[in-house]
Amino acid sequence: MQLNVRPVLSALARNRTGAILVALEIAIALAVMVNATWMVAQRLHDIRQPTGIDQRDIFEFAVAGFSTQFDYGSSQREDLAYLRSLPGVIAATATSAIPLTAFGQGDGIRRRPSELSHQFWVRSMQIDAEGLKTLGVHIVAGRNFTATEVQPFSPHFSHLASEVLVTQSFARKLFPHGNALGKSIYGSTDKPMTIIGITSNFFGSVIDTPSYDGLLYPQEPGGYGDYICLVRTQPGKAAALMRTAERHLATANPNRVIFDAHVLEYYKGQLDAQNRNMVIFLSTVTALILAVTCLGIFGLTAFNVSTRTKQIGTMRAVGARRRDVVSYFLTENAFVLFAGILLGCILALGVGSWLSSAYALPRLDPMYLALGMVILAAIGQLAAWHPARRAAAVPPSVATQTV
Amino acid sequence: MLKMHDVSKIYRTDLIETHALRNFSLEVGAGQFVAVSGPSGSGKTTFLNVAGLLETFDTGTYELDGKDVSRLSDDARSRIRNEKIGFIFQSFNLIPDLDIYDNVDVPLRYRRMKGPERHQRISRALELVGLASRMKHMPSQLSGGQQQRAAIARAIAGDPALILADEPTGNLDSLMARQVMDLLEKINDMGTTVVLVTHDPELARRAQRNIHIVDGLVIDSPPYERRSSSEPINLGA
Amino acid sequence: MIGYYCRLALKSLRRTPGLTALMVCAIALGIGTCIVTLTVYHAMSGNPIWWKNNVLYAVTMDSWDPLHPFDSDHPQLPPPQLAYKDATYLMQSSIPKRKAVMTKLLGMLTGAPGQTLPLRVWTRATSGDFFSMFDVPFEYGGGWSSAADQGPQPVIVLSKEVNDKLFGGADSVGRTVLWDGHQFRVVGVMNAWHPLPLFYDLIDGAFNAPEDAFVPFGWVRALQQLPSGNMSFWGPSRIVTFQDLLASGAVWTEMWVELPDAASRQRFQAYMDAYWAAQRRVGRFQRPLNNHLTRVSRWLKINGVVSSDSRILVRIAFAFLAVCLINTIGILLTKFLRGAPITGVRRALGASRNQVFLQHIVEVAVVSLAGALIGLALGAAGLGAVRALYTGDASYSLLAHFDPVGVVWALALAALSTLAAGLYPAWAVGRLPPAVYLKTR
Repeated sequence: MQLNVRPVLSALARNRTGAILVALEIAIALAVMVNATWMVAQRLHDIRQPTGIDQRDIFEFAVAGFSTQFDYGSSQREDLAYLRSLPGVIAATATSAIPLTAFGQGDGIRRRPSELSHQFWVRSMQIDAEGLKTLGVHIVAGRNFTATEVQPFSPHFSHLASEVLVTQSFARKLFPHGNALGKSIYGSTDKPMTIIGITSNFFGSVIDTPSYDGLLYPQEPGGYGDYICLVRTQPGKAAALMRTAERHLATANPNRVIFDAHVLEYYKGQLDAQNRNMVIFLSTVTALILAVTCLGIFGLTAFNVSTRTKQIGTMRAVGARRRDVVSYFLTENAFVLFAGILLGCILALGVGSWLSSAYALPRLDPMYLALGMVILAAIGQLAAWHPARRAAAVPPSVATQTV
Repeated sequence: MLKMHDVSKIYRTDLIETHALRNFSLEVGAGQFVAVSGPSGSGKTTFLNVAGLLETFDTGTYELDGKDVSRLSDDARSRIRNEKIGFIFQSFNLIPDLDIYDNVDVPLRYRRMKGPERHQRISRALELVGLASRMKHMPSQLSGGQQQRAAIARAIAGDPALILADEPTGNLDSLMARQVMDLLEKINDMGTTVVLVTHDPELARRAQRNIHIVDGLVIDSPPYERRSSSEPINLGA
Repeated sequence: MIGYYCRLALKSLRRTPGLTALMVCAIALGIGTCIVTLTVYHAMSGNPIWWKNNVLYAVTMDSWDPLHPFDSDHPQLPPPQLAYKDATYLMQSSIPKRKAVMTKLLGMLTGAPGQTLPLRVWTRATSGDFFSMFDVPFEYGGGWSSAADQGPQPVIVLSKEVNDKLFGGADSVGRTVLWDGHQFRVVGVMNAWHPLPLFYDLIDGAFNAPEDAFVPFGWVRALQQLPSGNMSFWGPSRIVTFQDLLASGAVWTEMWVELPDAASRQRFQAYMDAYWAAQRRVGRFQRPLNNHLTRVSRWLKINGVVSSDSRILVRIAFAFLAVCLINTIGILLTKFLRGAPITGVRRALGASRNQVFLQHIVEVAVVSLAGALIGLALGAAGLGAVRALYTGDASYSLLAHFDPVGVVWALALAALSTLAAGLYPAWAVGRLPPAVYLKTR
């Protein structure tokens, strides 16, 4: 039997409401599915973005003294000496920020002291000569701090260093057309700071979204009333060494507390939590919406089949093969799918542009839309397959039965 | 009881107009037993639907039980169907989910009758048709004849003035058909007007009066009568 | 009659268990999803002190860099905190009925009887009005007087949690504890108090718990305590000593005032503006006049408390609910139309359109009620899952709780949306011409 489109269309016209409802369902499903998948892709990209540091093998803890007279300088030197003596520890440093957390500082950096209107905001950290080794960050150009360049602890919180390191990303931002190495920059004072080295990109402390822009000062921390010990261990030893160190240091000096001890991987999990939850929720809803839409398509086709038994019998009686009956119903379904997907396409693009303007999300990639259309069309036809097969099982004798 | 004057009913589709009833006039007196016959497509069913207030018509007037029902609202027509008309169908049309008792209960429910009265009427109707012992059976558990008797019980439970029966024996064998006809005669004897639509001359012959419809017109009213009629026969104009 | 319809509805639903299950599941899923997202959204967007929304105001002044707005994404907004010197000046005003300046400190609590390890506590240095202004509930004692603010006197208010830890929940008013090595007398123990969001200081996390200890603000200066909350400064600051910090333009204090009427609000606004003008003459406040008294509701809004994710999720959940409901309309229509012959019989037996409509809408109501109840259970389970997802983040475990008002809303949402979905099919089936379905089976 040549497939004729006309009877299919007139049959659709008769159960118009049902067809319109399913088409509407398909449209919304497509719009949600495409945009949700697009968002999931963004979030997965964010989660997979390398941190640039070795968070699995780094642990940290914070140290704060009880009184204003507490000697942060000697305390951290003792702590570091102990930590570096532990077997399994590769490197340790004292710093003022916890990477991957909101705990830390930011600075406005200028390229010239007079350049007040051009500030570059950057997250900064105070480290010593072993800082880079501890983080697992390497020098791309120039050199690391030397031990003598590290400024001793001072109870003030301005940076006394005259040498700094910047990340590649921040170097490019500061000097897009030239080499940042050896250039002078200015922070909260008019004192110049020379860029002596450029490091690989990494996430320091984070506000809102992580950034590879970073600035490192050679400075013993503690000016803010606490300091952080960062410790890099041999692979897999971070958690155990953290407990050992915590136990020892808690009793070594009674005038202070050790707190917030964590392997940095923990903070990575926290940092990803919102993205991860979004991925879980969006995938779940997308799966559910697809399932419900398939059931809707299934129901519509099953209804059409059940109310047209006689018509099917007649088709069969005049010589339609089983596969003709199947393709008849699949064609009918294809029309509904087509209308739904067309409408859904417009809806998806509308939702996409609204999302990108209202929430500053990247614009929907048309590839996702195309892929969503193909997938929905395929799943939609699959959902109609079973009832269509049932239709094909109607015997031709139905045509001659009365009542 | 039933007085139609010049009733016309036209079915329209995009392409064609079908005159199902044309200037149809008929008068049926109270207490009569009338058989309506005619070939397929003659307008029998349309007549029945119009007479039973299931469908409206285009022109003419219709008086039922002394009241003009030609232009009533859907609600008012529902009410008249509920109170004055009992339907009996060829395919019984019992509601498959409900047992016999509940089936007979349906029209009484829509009349908002109180429980005890409903119960009394249902029992009486089922007793009359000889199904009192089957009231808790589902329709599918009964034979065709029993199902049709249950449908008759449902039709008479509300004490209608008019029974409209559409080929009530069409799906039954001859023995069961006879039982059903006996029952209809019994109901007629109790004073209820019965209009029977059939194409079976055997059955038609048992009626007091015979009406023939062809092409939407009353064309013939054969004079053979089982018993004497007190009402004049009105031919279509 | 409703009883009769209910009986018919149950019979009808039992006749097609597959379709019934499908409808109930679809509604339940849609409702459950909406409940989860709405509960999180509702908790995020709630105003924890709505009853004082018209009298409590956050005080902000734009003391920021003349060349850059504080927040380049929202250049119209002043910094959310004040410089120490501005806050202390504004605190001298007698216009507000109540007023509180505050900042966040980190302190060590020791010296409680039987205490072996020091307890690190987030501490709010603030004014005595804090407690009455924010309607803080007390288990024992209360806040401190303005005399204690002036001293400052060594008085401390503890949270219920800390009092449970240090004193086993006993009345500790009058006892002494060491805060960072200094003696403080306990004057009050708060009852459980968890305003969500933490409206008075949103910077370090809008869903954090309130601090565990409260001391008079004067101790910041007296003990030279560096704030442990957020601190921002701009330009060449030249801050070296603690005195430099106090004198600097760095912003690190919050200030709230209670202004009972429009007149007092205008007077306080004028007071701020006059201070702004005077300071401008000596070279500060070079940005345009941008002093604000902000209500709690608006404060929560401009500080972006509700994450855009949760807004998106609510919308997606509603799109999903729409699909579920459209699906339900389709199924109901299918089901009701399939039952058209029986409806035809009922119509012939005298059922009016209204009666047919009612019968079907009762059936819809039964489905919607079942869907709503299961949806509620799914929603509760979903919230449990949300709680599990966010372990480690105290905020969400507090957030994802089910309040009775939410349950009522969810049920209403479920019932109304499904009834709305059922209206058309129930109406459509009443419109069918009865005669058509009587002739054949």
